[in-house]
Amino acid sequence: MQWLLALETNGDPITSCRLMNIFRRKGVSIVTLAMAARTEGFSVVALVETPEHEVDHIFNFLRRVEGVENVTYYRHEPEGDASFVFIDADADSSSLARFLQTFPESKLIFGSHGKYLLEIPGDRKPSSASLDFGKQEILPFARVKSSIPQPELVAAQT
Amino acid sequence: MGRQFNGSEILLESLRRENVEVFFGLPGGVVLPLYDALYSSGIRHLLVRHEQAAAFAADGYARVTGRVGVCLGTSGPGATNLTTGLTSAMMDSIPVVALTGQVALPLIGKDAFQECDTIGISMPSTKRSFLVRSAADLPSVIHQAFKTAISGRPGPVLVDLPKSVLMESAEPTYPTTPGIAQLERIREWKDEDIERAAEMILESRRAVLYAGGGVIAANAWQELRELAELTHIPVTTTLMGLGAFPSAHPLSLGMLGMHGSYATNQSICNCDLLIGVGVRFDDRVTGRLKDFASLAKKIHIDVDPAELNKNVRVDIGLIGDARETLRALLEVLKRRLPEGKDLTPPARRQWLQRIESWRSEYPLTYDKYGHAVKPQYVIQTLSHYAAEDAIASVDVGQHQMWAAQYWEFRKPRTWLSSSGLGSMGYGFPAAMGAQLAFPNRQVIAIVGDGGFQMTLNDLATVAQYRVPVKIAIINNRSLGMVRQWQEIFFEKRYCDIDLTFSPDFAKLAESYGIRGVRVDHRTDVPDAVRDFLSDREPRLIDFWLDPAENVYPIVPPGGSLAEMVVEPPRVLVEEEEALDDLWAV
Repeated sequence: MQWLLALETNGDPITSCRLMNIFRRKGVSIVTLAMAARTEGFSVVALVETPEHEVDHIFNFLRRVEGVENVTYYRHEPEGDASFVFIDADADSSSLARFLQTFPESKLIFGSHGKYLLEIPGDRKPSSASLDFGKQEILPFARVKSSIPQPELVAAQT
Repeated sequence: MGRQFNGSEILLESLRRENVEVFFGLPGGVVLPLYDALYSSGIRHLLVRHEQAAAFAADGYARVTGRVGVCLGTSGPGATNLTTGLTSAMMDSIPVVALTGQVALPLIGKDAFQECDTIGISMPSTKRSFLVRSAADLPSVIHQAFKTAISGRPGPVLVDLPKSVLMESAEPTYPTTPGIAQLERIREWKDEDIERAAEMILESRRAVLYAGGGVIAANAWQELRELAELTHIPVTTTLMGLGAFPSAHPLSLGMLGMHGSYATNQSICNCDLLIGVGVRFDDRVTGRLKDFASLAKKIHIDVDPAELNKNVRVDIGLIGDARETLRALLEVLKRRLPEGKDLTPPARRQWLQRIESWRSEYPLTYDKYGHAVKPQYVIQTLSHYAAEDAIASVDVGQHQMWAAQYWEFRKPRTWLSSSGLGSMGYGFPAAMGAQLAFPNRQVIAIVGDGGFQMTLNDLATVAQYRVPVKIAIINNRSLGMVRQWQEIFFEKRYCDIDLTFSPDFAKLAESYGIRGVRVDHRTDVPDAVRDFLSDREPRLIDFWLDPAENVYPIVPPGGSLAEMVVEPPRVLVEEEEALDDLWAV
């Protein structure tokens, strides 16, 4: 099953190296991966193949990795209730342009090297038909879990 | 402009501010500036004979104190030699900070002498690793390293220190609070989750508490005991959890799993509720997963969200520090019961009786009357004569399992074992680290002849510093656990398990200036043990055992707990009578 993992890390490249190693060790098969620098860190978006029963564990594992500031995972929803799309446009941004014409209210969450993650706010849900823009893949996703809000931290009692 | 210090001085001051009193290491080229600063620093450093021992000693120090253990290696081989110890600490969630030398910043990536990619190598073996790029960064990096090591699920952290950073000058700014004072306890569960868990406990008839290293890491043993006593639920512990619940307590089931007792494993197979606290459903505990506690609903309390539903699906997962979570659970349970009401329904009393009958049916036992020294007897005798707060540090193999079965656990943080990684060579240096933490307590390294030969070079260290560690070698002249598996599962096709070509350990100890004796007759064991424990000097006893002895019960690999092989008792005697008789000899 395909999933989209979106991560934000601190600025230490070691954290990104750890992520790649975790994907390898946990048997997460990467279909597409893109990385972008933020002001104080990196954003990573990975389209992955992994069995459904493993995803929750991987999410939990990733969110407690030192240096990972946020993790969100999305389930591929070809027919269902999707509010997000992932566009793998490569060098050709025409599909992105057409998508934005159809869904002008879309919010860009991630964009790097022709890979885009967009949220479609409101009640408009993208159907498979509405995402048929030719050869390039536009995949609808539903957000499953995010590490925001952060775990509650309570003062230690002695 | 304030006063300038070099990186080495800033590092040592940062360690001092994190309350580091002692660390374990071995100098080399790039860390010479650090050792120069150490010369007048007031922080104690123990010179080990191999960096692996430094990592294990730091681990032992951390386990007995609950504080961060610190070790150091130079660049290249010094750093790589630490890796096994760090991986063991990672597997067992032990807070260790490893300091490694690195070649000067301009030389990194140029294949300089004694350069290696320490950060890359240590990545999967640590919670976090830092490469320090400026002396001015040292106070905050060290502070973060200590905080990371001890917070949440504890674990090892590595700080890589280029020589140029150790030598350059900077004006340090130290964090105002030490990392340990900022310990935060994670709590992700909601009140309604606790209410549901309490409901399940109250409804259960055949519940078992399954406690692991997380109970010890969170200092939650009092809460565990209170929960057990309030609800009359028996407690089994993992190898990591030994000491979290007293062995002699009527509700104690001892260790479960591959070498758990018949009664313990039967109780897991038949329980209707399993409450896991700080455990990870390790394969050595569960056996065949689909059959593990298959009749039971499951509650899992753990600080690490990644542990929930990793191996076994649970009905309620409570992500949080074990102590905070158990306290909340106790509060709800007490509120829901009128004061003074007995929480032991008749069904639970019947459950405890059933466990007792399993215990009587197949107790842990061995041949107590032969001439040969039996390892179980040695462990029981050591435990019998050891001080109430003695610390036992074991290696890996048969003797480790016998110690887990036959040592009487009285207090938490008195049991050191490389449990997850199962690293032979751990027991002796870990004991050394524990002894440095508590110089006045008895620390007994119970090791096999195989594992001891992996780190025995540190006999020099205990001799040099007169570290009064007691070393008990359970010597069967073979790699015993491998031999046992070859015997049982590989049709006695013994291959490369023979360790008869070993030194005379007693004479070897003597050559280091440590008193050593060999004991090869059963009746000599009590006197030898009494003498062994009688002083404050490092000592060694080499117990020559019946080499054919095997660890029972055993769950065959891949089998379920119900398929355990229970060796029938060879001599049917009342256990207590027999032991009294033996100690009287």
